[in-house]
Amino acid sequence: MLKLLRMEYLLNRRQILIVLAIFSVYFLYMAYRIDSPRVFLVSLCLMMGLAVPFGFVGREDKFKTAALVCSLPVRRTTIVLAKYAISGMAMGLGLAYGLLLAAALPFTKISVVEILTVKSILIALLLVSVLSGFIHPFTIRFGLAGIIIFLVSSQLLGIVALVLAQFLGRGPNPLRSAIAAVEKGLRTMLYHEATPGFLVLLAAAIITVNAASFLVSRALYARRDL
Amino acid sequence: MDNAIEILGLRKAYKRFALDDVTFNVPQGYVMGLIGPNGAGKTTVIKLIMNLIRRNAGEVRVFGLDNLRHEREVKARIGFVYDVPRFPEDLRLGQIASALAPFYPKWDGGRFLALLDEFELSSRTVIKKLSHGMKMKFALALALAHDADLILMDEPTAGLDPVFRFELLEKLRAFIQDERKTVLFSSHITSDLERVADFITFIHKGRIVFSAGKDAILESWGVVRASDGSVRPDDIPGLRGYKQSEFSLEALTSDIAAARKRLGGSTACDKASLEDIMFFVSRGETHA
Repeated sequence: MLKLLRMEYLLNRRQILIVLAIFSVYFLYMAYRIDSPRVFLVSLCLMMGLAVPFGFVGREDKFKTAALVCSLPVRRTTIVLAKYAISGMAMGLGLAYGLLLAAALPFTKISVVEILTVKSILIALLLVSVLSGFIHPFTIRFGLAGIIIFLVSSQLLGIVALVLAQFLGRGPNPLRSAIAAVEKGLRTMLYHEATPGFLVLLAAAIITVNAASFLVSRALYARRDL
Repeated sequence: MDNAIEILGLRKAYKRFALDDVTFNVPQGYVMGLIGPNGAGKTTVIKLIMNLIRRNAGEVRVFGLDNLRHEREVKARIGFVYDVPRFPEDLRLGQIASALAPFYPKWDGGRFLALLDEFELSSRTVIKKLSHGMKMKFALALALAHDADLILMDEPTAGLDPVFRFELLEKLRAFIQDERKTVLFSSHITSDLERVADFITFIHKGRIVFSAGKDAILESWGVVRASDGSVRPDDIPGLRGYKQSEFSLEALTSDIAAARKRLGGSTACDKASLEDIMFFVSRGETHA
């Protein structure tokens, strides 16, 4: 897999620099405007964790290089694993880069000490993993068009939820209960004390979400005709 | 004779096309040409060997190894050249080679540079500045630089001018001087295959029409030409396709000796070229 990571780096070096340049400006803005450490952290991981791997997917689509990669002596499982590793590394890069800027910039509203807690980092990683865990299988199956498919599907789901909400009325109903449960779960997670057990649970949730997403992506990529 | 590739009962179904029960072998140390008209299934066969598409049934063995179970080992021994080379257009040749080299244990950087030199390419040139022919040469240099035992090429000569094509074919001829090396090369340009192929597999509408030695094919297949209405298609032994008008008949036979014997000396029976074979088999029975 290291060979694949090295190859992706060499083939997309310029793309990484472009993303870093764009996000340098964005991070400056965020560091100046955002005062919630959690929002800052999630934004950093999310932006880099999605922008870098999906930038690679965009180039792969543009130059049709998926066939080139799949003709190399590597298994497709390893290729998918490398894509997830790239996503994780990009999140790490985004986090490190953002923290560096936050520490170096005098006008930032974010204190590095506030962000740099195990709980904050794990929560950020979990939230980003849930989102990227949903998107990855789409991009692996459909390329860059997968993101559009994901967004359109999400919008359709939202429309269905809205229509259902109108239809079911203001009283207690399954849709309302489901949304309330998600909201309650998120609040519990955000405000829960950072006990060792909770942190282990967060770590386990991150691993589970990524593993489930990886298994779906692997199955989809094995069926993809190039 | 050992086989570099053994294909058995290969099937792949698309909505409007199906590769159906494809079976043939590629002997080690030879050049095999895979011919057929556009859309016959040549690219599908090559992609199935490379596991770029998923098969519905059948088996592919490369150097005795199943191409799915031993994917890494198999692909490490294959040099693959696409019909349209697919490289990131904004990178230099040297950068691409440097990214791909670690995947191949037998990669020889010196040989790669020598091949670039031979093909008059520079490792500092950006891919988008290359013509189609130059990209094909680069792809071939990559395929040859890791000392592949099998070169798979999908329509490598399509869109190339005659000079490029001649150079490429010469390169292939030189490659198989080492008798361990094998080439499977698809094309609809039959003259290229007549020049270099030792064996020919003809595929049409997803089915194998024949797979045999080129010399044997060119010896036994022929075209019967009659103009006075004295010969009917049914009279021709080994009939594989014909073109008939009010005044003439042209027919392809897979048994020219039998045709000559039955029709006698008054009817023209000439040896068929691969182009004749492809034309008549593809067209089937036609009436002008």
